[in-house]
Amino acid sequence: MSDEISERLSKYLGAKFGGVVDVTGLARIPGGASRETYRFRARYKRDGKEIERGLILRRDPEASLINTERTTEYRAYQAFHKLGLPVPEPIALELSGDALDRPFFIMEEIENCTIGSIVSPDPYGPHRERVGRQFFEALGKIARADPDAVGLSDFDGARENSWAHEVQRWEREIDEDEREPQPIARAAIRWLKRNPPPPPQKLSVVHGDYRTGNFLIDADGNIRALLDWEMAHLGDPLEDLGWALDPLWSHGDIEHASGTVPRAEAIAIWEKASGLKVDPKAFRWWEIFASLKGAAIWISAAREYSDMRNADPINAFSGWYCLAFHNKILADRLSALVDA
Amino acid sequence: MKPSATQILGLSAGKLLGEILPQLPTQFAQGATSLVAFLLMFSAQESERGAEIRVNENAAMRKLFAELAPLVSDAALKKKLEAAAKSVASSLQISDLDAANYELRCVLIALQIHIEDMQGEKARAAEKRIWQVLKDAAAARIVTIG
Repeated sequence: MSDEISERLSKYLGAKFGGVVDVTGLARIPGGASRETYRFRARYKRDGKEIERGLILRRDPEASLINTERTTEYRAYQAFHKLGLPVPEPIALELSGDALDRPFFIMEEIENCTIGSIVSPDPYGPHRERVGRQFFEALGKIARADPDAVGLSDFDGARENSWAHEVQRWEREIDEDEREPQPIARAAIRWLKRNPPPPPQKLSVVHGDYRTGNFLIDADGNIRALLDWEMAHLGDPLEDLGWALDPLWSHGDIEHASGTVPRAEAIAIWEKASGLKVDPKAFRWWEIFASLKGAAIWISAAREYSDMRNADPINAFSGWYCLAFHNKILADRLSALVDA
Repeated sequence: MKPSATQILGLSAGKLLGEILPQLPTQFAQGATSLVAFLLMFSAQESERGAEIRVNENAAMRKLFAELAPLVSDAALKKKLEAAAKSVASSLQISDLDAANYELRCVLIALQIHIEDMQGEKARAAEKRIWQVLKDAAAARIVTIG
């Protein structure tokens, strides 16, 4: 299987780079349920010089041939790599199934790095503050970027009432994928619709899944790669901040954002980098939205697994552990609002 | 006494994480194995308390419906609440308890929407009462790792 993919990759890259490309060491690595992720080494000549580099292949799974998300992710990598954020260099995007049966893209491999597991109590150890400062500063820079200037102004999202666009998006997911009634998620949707947030201070590119577990750090605690841009869209930049600060990513300590710096410090770093202010009332809305969005994603994951469309254990884990977690967070937060 | 399902699942998870995972040669195999081990841990918890969680959750909803039915002005909803309050699951098997839970949750959503639209102190107290049931249910269904 690996040999066959290596051979076909070699042929594809040879045509792309114009020469012989030797592909070795192809191995599947963890990369979420939405894409098959492989690392490999490519050796080729360019301008008479021998080059060897590690690359990552992200291929659509058999159950999905949705090209739009693949293109979205690739274009986001291109835009923010150019902007100088720690984002891997995208190398090639292939939307047809000609080369490897399904669409895929290739990007550089950021080597000798680790990812903080969401179930680890202290994934960053002595580097937690350093990681937190970089993490929220980079998020502020994404919020600050002008979607027109970075060439992503045609991304999905509403220029007016982006909150409503997002609520509808995730309500639709729940409508399509719930296997049993979800009273907490439904109550959250009603609350979000009845209590809309103020208009965004600016329209931004929203990463869509900016959290612990979606970035790579090296041994010195430097963030080397911000990953998983497949849910990127246009919207209120508070959406990403709410998601990044969600308790599910807090490693058991909600006072420390994503297992790093204290929440207030994270928000201050983000404000400085983005040039925006966090209105507590608006942010409260986006925090509740974040947990609702999480619930919707986990409901979909559970459905994928239960229907055997994608039996990756991450889908069962998400549909069980993560959904139960977000239902509790939503119930606690919404009942507190009713009590108040 | 033979080992319980809870014990078998829990020990199997520990075996996977402690002994088998470190022997696996690739990061992908290690990642997938740790996830399977977590699923075994959750299954161990479910095996021990799954029926109790559902019985308690269903009982709490039935009690809530009996309490709040007199507040409801919509005749059709009131009738549903009264019927649901008296309903019983056909057995203690998880699938039957889930089927009952499905029906009760549908009624709960309809009740909550109705109460949210009502004015007055009694309605707000009822809303809090509904949230208490939801909070308790959500807390009971949390699964833990380790």
